[in-house]
Amino acid sequence: EGEGEKMRVISCCKAVPEEQDIVVAKDRQISFEKAEWKFGQYDLNAVEAGKQIVEATGGQLSGLCAGGKILDNSKLKKDILSRGLDNLYLVMDETMEQADTYQSARVLEAAIKKMGEFDLVLCGAGSSDLYAQQVGNQLGELLGIPVVNAVNKITPQGDKVIVERALENAIEVLEITLPAVLSVTSEINVPRIAGMKDIIAANKKPVTKLSLSEIEVADSQPASMVFSTLAPEQMERRLNILEGESDDVVDVFVKLLSAELK
Amino acid sequence: MTVNNVWVITDDQKAVGELCGGGRQLGDQVSVVLFGDQNEAQEAIASGADQVYLFGQPGNSVMIEAYSKSIAELLRAEKADLVMVYSSVRGKLMAGRIASGLATSALSNVSELTVEDGSIIAKHMVYGGAAIRTEKALSDTVVVTVGTGVFEEMPKDVTRQGKVTEVNPGVDNTGIRVLETRPKQGEAVNLSAAKRVVGVGRGFAAKEDLKMAEEFAALIGAELGCSRPIAEGEKWMSKERYIGVSGVFLKTDIYISLGISGQIQHMVGVNQAKTLVAINKDKNAPVFKQADIGLVGDIYNVLPQIVAKMKAQN
Ligand SMILES: Cc1cc2nc3c(=O)[nH]c(=O)nc-3n(C[C@H](O)[C@H](O)[C@H](O)COP(=O)(O)OP(=O)(O)OC[C@H]3O[C@@H](n4cnc5c(N)ncnc54)[C@H](O)[C@@H]3O)c2cc1C
Ligand SMILES: Nc1ncnc2c1ncn2[C@@H]1O[C@H](COP(=O)(O)O)[C@@H](O)[C@H]1O
Repeated sequence: EGEGEKMRVISCCKAVPEEQDIVVAKDRQISFEKAEWKFGQYDLNAVEAGKQIVEATGGQLSGLCAGGKILDNSKLKKDILSRGLDNLYLVMDETMEQADTYQSARVLEAAIKKMGEFDLVLCGAGSSDLYAQQVGNQLGELLGIPVVNAVNKITPQGDKVIVERALENAIEVLEITLPAVLSVTSEINVPRIAGMKDIIAANKKPVTKLSLSEIEVADSQPASMVFSTLAPEQMERRLNILEGESDDVVDVFVKLLSAELK
Repeated sequence: MTVNNVWVITDDQKAVGELCGGGRQLGDQVSVVLFGDQNEAQEAIASGADQVYLFGQPGNSVMIEAYSKSIAELLRAEKADLVMVYSSVRGKLMAGRIASGLATSALSNVSELTVEDGSIIAKHMVYGGAAIRTEKALSDTVVVTVGTGVFEEMPKDVTRQGKVTEVNPGVDNTGIRVLETRPKQGEAVNLSAAKRVVGVGRGFAAKEDLKMAEEFAALIGAELGCSRPIAEGEKWMSKERYIGVSGVFLKTDIYISLGISGQIQHMVGVNQAKTLVAINKDKNAPVFKQADIGLVGDIYNVLPQIVAKMKAQN
């Protein structure tokens, strides 16, 4: 065991519907029928952090996603593969679309155990739909290995990593023995934008699909029963929108604004 | 309605008052886990706690989160019905580890908690604030994370009696060593109390350009806030100043956004404002769908004009 240790990293990403495409009905029910799907904005930081590690140490970066059938969408798969993954594992089951943080962590745990040896599991700052910021914490505890959230910097060091953790009023520097689970912040890096070459290469990367029975995860009861998911009450807005940068237009704007500030 | 045993866990003493207030509202018996000293335990009792478990500092190179397993065992032994963990960074990590230990999930960032027919009902935002979910918790011990601003503090009663138990359980911290803790300057600003706020977004191309916005804000007596990427990606402003679902919720009379697109995650933080004003160069920016007054224009061209005109008025 030394400095030259190759790292096997798994970055966890969740596919979510695009919030901007949510349609709100009169009764405040929301619909995703028209929504595009994408990977959570902050999960991309987990992929980028993994990529930077394997670029530095050598090794392999795997993506792991649990979700519904939507994961089989070729555009989605290509999108995440083109961001630097060497391979991708998909756990698909319709029940995953409603999974709570414990159920998700259980499924990821079971999948990770099937995937073989690993050094580091990376999660994002929070999923774009639930933003519970919990799946990583719950997963680490289930795997029984060191787990830390709010990780702002990761430096591999042999069979350990040195991480900086962003607390409210302090930066904590930690030495963590691998394997471990880290949830990174959205500040840790700026995810790279895939180029044409990466997109083409994505087509050739192996994708392994797993079912819940293949990963042998026993049923777990949901922690809660959802009563409703409703859009918040919206205030009526006046929508008095002026266009242009001329003196006259700005003058009208300033008058309107000043009236509000009285 | 109440449940029997409510537990409060916080690593930050500033949350004790409100969480104990919430505990009193929801439970017959309120127990608090603290990592501080006797004075802090007494403050918790004055705020509504019946008993306090005081966990000692676990040693220099060990995080308090290493107590998660012991806390989970304590909660199980004491038959906790509801566990409210303060949603600090440390609190979240403990909540998740404890929840896994109790084979349940952590209901996160709840905005409202009630007890109906003996069950705990929680509300929290989902889809970046596009919706509010109401759910009934089903597990024997319900674990939630809560921030400040959800519950009211009770007036402190220094004559209240309670029991303080000092505990020094073993820590399970294999594999994590704290090498160093560097204090970092937080900013003492309370945007949620401001009556007027100007918010800046990625429409600003450079940090020094924020001076324009500062001048404008000062002119109208407003606090300056921002979108998340300005605080996190660009780090031009402190995190205490970013507005939205994962940041500050405003209760202003007026909010004026400059170069902010108006994504749902930002807008939920401002949509309680009495008046929303937006300036953006893209007339299709979503921010204009929720504006009372809007100006489609380049901030670099219109803001100096606005400032000049407003100065001339005064
Ligand atoms: C789970 C989650 C939580 C989030 N929480 C938050 C949150 O709490 N708060 C938050 O703010 N965001 C949050 N976000 C991020 C959010 O989705 C948006 O990415 C962010 O709000 C966009 O910031 P912005 O409007 O400054 O930047 P952009 O979306 O890049 O918009 C910049 C705008 O400036 C305009 N512009 C550019 N140049 C000019 C100019 N010269 N003059 C005038 N206008 C100009 C453009 O037309 C554009 O509309 C969250 C995201 C996720 C996934
Ligand atoms: N279904 C999932 N599949 C893969 N990764 C997930 C899943 N759910 C959550 N995660 C990971 O856990 C992080 C935290 O999620 P959450 O607790 O839902 O906010 C996300 O940023 C992802 O990295």
